[in-house]
Amino acid sequence: MKQYIIKRLISGVIVLFGLSVFTFMLIHFIPGDPVRIMLGQRATVEQIETLREELGLNKPLVVQYLDYASGVVKGDLGTSLKTGRPVSTEIAERFPATAKMAVASLGVAVVVGIGLGVLAARFKDTFLDGLIMTFSTFGMALPGFWLGLLVILVFSVHLGWFPIAGGTGFMDIVLPAVTLGTLTATALSRLTRAGMVEVLSNDYIRTARAKGMGERIVLLRHAFRNVMIPIVAVIGLEFAGLLGGAVIVEQVFNWPGIGTLAIQAISSRDFPMIQGTTLFIGAIYVLVVILIDVLYAILDPRIDYTAKREGA
Amino acid sequence: MKKNIRRTSSIVLGGFVTLSMFLVVGCGTQNTAPAEQGESAKPKPGGTITVAYAYEPDTLDTHMSVGAAVVYTWPLGGSLLYKDPATNEYKPSLASDYKISEDGKTWTFTIRSGITLHDGTPLTAKTFKETFERALNPQTKAKTTAEILAPIKSVSAPDEQTLVLELHEPTTAFLETLASYLSQPLSLKAIEKAGEDYGRNPVGVGPWKFESWKTGEGVTYVRNEAFQWGEPYYENQGPPRADKLIIKGIADSQLRMSALESGAIDVATEVPVKEVKNYRSNPKYQVMERLRPGVGLLLEMNLSRPEFQNIQVRKALNMLVNKEAIIQAVLQGEGEVSHTPLSPSTFGYDKSLEKYGYEYNVNEAKKLLDDAGWKRNGSGMREKDGKTLSLNMLTTADVDKQAQLLQAMLGEAGINILIQKLDMAGYMQEVIKGNFDVTLISGEYDDPDILTFYFHSSGAYNLSGVKDDQLDALLLKGRTTIQTDARKQVYMDVQKRLIEQAYVVPIYNDKSFAVINSRVKGVKWTSVLPTYNDSWIAD
Repeated sequence: MKQYIIKRLISGVIVLFGLSVFTFMLIHFIPGDPVRIMLGQRATVEQIETLREELGLNKPLVVQYLDYASGVVKGDLGTSLKTGRPVSTEIAERFPATAKMAVASLGVAVVVGIGLGVLAARFKDTFLDGLIMTFSTFGMALPGFWLGLLVILVFSVHLGWFPIAGGTGFMDIVLPAVTLGTLTATALSRLTRAGMVEVLSNDYIRTARAKGMGERIVLLRHAFRNVMIPIVAVIGLEFAGLLGGAVIVEQVFNWPGIGTLAIQAISSRDFPMIQGTTLFIGAIYVLVVILIDVLYAILDPRIDYTAKREGA
Repeated sequence: MKKNIRRTSSIVLGGFVTLSMFLVVGCGTQNTAPAEQGESAKPKPGGTITVAYAYEPDTLDTHMSVGAAVVYTWPLGGSLLYKDPATNEYKPSLASDYKISEDGKTWTFTIRSGITLHDGTPLTAKTFKETFERALNPQTKAKTTAEILAPIKSVSAPDEQTLVLELHEPTTAFLETLASYLSQPLSLKAIEKAGEDYGRNPVGVGPWKFESWKTGEGVTYVRNEAFQWGEPYYENQGPPRADKLIIKGIADSQLRMSALESGAIDVATEVPVKEVKNYRSNPKYQVMERLRPGVGLLLEMNLSRPEFQNIQVRKALNMLVNKEAIIQAVLQGEGEVSHTPLSPSTFGYDKSLEKYGYEYNVNEAKKLLDDAGWKRNGSGMREKDGKTLSLNMLTTADVDKQAQLLQAMLGEAGINILIQKLDMAGYMQEVIKGNFDVTLISGEYDDPDILTFYFHSSGAYNLSGVKDDQLDALLLKGRTTIQTDARKQVYMDVQKRLIEQAYVVPIYNDKSFAVINSRVKGVKWTSVLPTYNDSWIAD
């Protein structure tokens, strides 16, 4: 197991390296000059050249990348061109807001998504099932920004129940978490239903029921545990996505998280910040994916990473 | 000289309106609708006023910021001069008196006594000397402030109350800079003490003291109890009435309006024109508006392109644009037709200039194009020597609708327009390189000197590439003429020349809007931004 994790971590580092090269190339290919943005339109050629020199933007791209990479290895993500503060400080400042929202959204998604999925499977082909599946289809088709605007309009503007654009307190988190959570829940409910329907048709479920076991125990202990693997995978990936900042929903709710930071960085061509946020989001993804694989083994004793290939 | 023009005065040139719209100082209110709220009850102290702009600041160090933070540093500041909203004259504010020498190069100020900065340091001539020298020191790497202070050659403070500025050359528009809070005095002691963190711990001299800045949540200010030096146009020269002022950045305009309606904020700025009508008729809110000074929306032609070297073609373009239709379609009628590049709310504009402007006249335009040798070919396009009149229009999403309307209007006469839309950062880079045939641009600044930037042969923002000796001479004269009437006449001549040569198609002047919850009274919008010195909460 330990070896497996180490192997995965090494491959993760390679992925991040690729990501950083790719991001680096990409931001230097798109038009837009951060120095122009910093100095404004009427800066003289000399001023622009001086600043380019200072920021190292005059050097060949390869050298610029190596400078950057050697900093990253030492734990230095560079300094924001826009605010003049360390990129890591800015990310550290924003991350708690994003993490809070990710956890809250995931909570909503798991409770609603799995709950509805189990219910739909239990009452397969009934009106309730139809209702839940219609809801989930509808939910999957909804764009996040639209749902966000709608809940703001209803619950903040008309009903006045929740604040907007206030801060990151408990009441502030409800609407964005419900928005994001609902979107994630829809996919999760379909997945849960499909898995449950399959499992519930198995012989051992019939046996369990025949033994006179309560329906709750049959559903949760016998059936549900067996559909958890794909669900955990989806939950994990969704969580990684949420931790990387739900860019659009953060924008809609003015949520001061990583997503908003990344958007601001892109529009001001704040190169170190774009690189920093991308790398950060990438690292989270990599870590969460590894974590999911480890969880697999815990959830399903049949999965054994130490076994030889042919045995697996 | 060439270098000097770029350096001596600075404006934030917009098209990049969003980033730069705040860099304007002093506003002639004579052309705008009420810039002051009606009063009814008696003002009372207390409460918090929450305001939303579209941007978060980059830093609260005025010297280090680029444009967007102005709204956040403004409440902290003050300035040597102020522009009297009634007369448009520059009068002393943090100074008690000022003199400009005969040659226009030596400006001497007497600094008011009894004023203290937020950290308790008394305001003296030395404060200004240190502030200006810090901004001008290349080591500081100051941004916008360094540019607007560039006309200064040297600063001296012979005694506590006397400040002497030596300028490189006489620069009338520098009055505008000294009336801007961008030139606000800073406490060097506080800067040294805070070091790298100064941008998050600013100290000023203004009505509001910095309290906190929570990233993504806004900047909080508290009333400066010691404040007694408000500009005379305020009813209240003392400390603000509200306890706190919070300014936050809400990028999405829809969310900004929702926040206003839910009561989360009291003042929404940069309100989209399509929203304004709803609030006008709602007694719960008050709409404040102001015709933007500077240059309105211009269609600029790249004069290095052969087709635009012919004045007939430039005139034809001027006649093909139905400005009123654009105002109706895009601004819902909330704007004014431009007859000259300069906005009616800027000094130097005169109604008498309107008669020189080009009227919308498609037939006359077609005739001009025919005369210039651009004939319609079989497919209805204009063609000359085997080349069709096809133009690349470089724009941003902000003016997309306008671009499409222009495409249709010019298309009517057989001119093909290809719209190339970039994001702001990409646009700025391309437009400055001259990679366009036509482009849309506007710039906000409350002095006609903006025309030097746009149309002087070495103006930093002369995108069209205008090279006109007569115009250059006039623009320089305008910059150095101090006598008001004479200066106005110079800029009227400048505008006449610009219209006569049809260098540019002026389209419209638009307004900026703020919507205010009626519970907040006494908001004034006499200068760059709505201000809250007189404001109080009615609940």
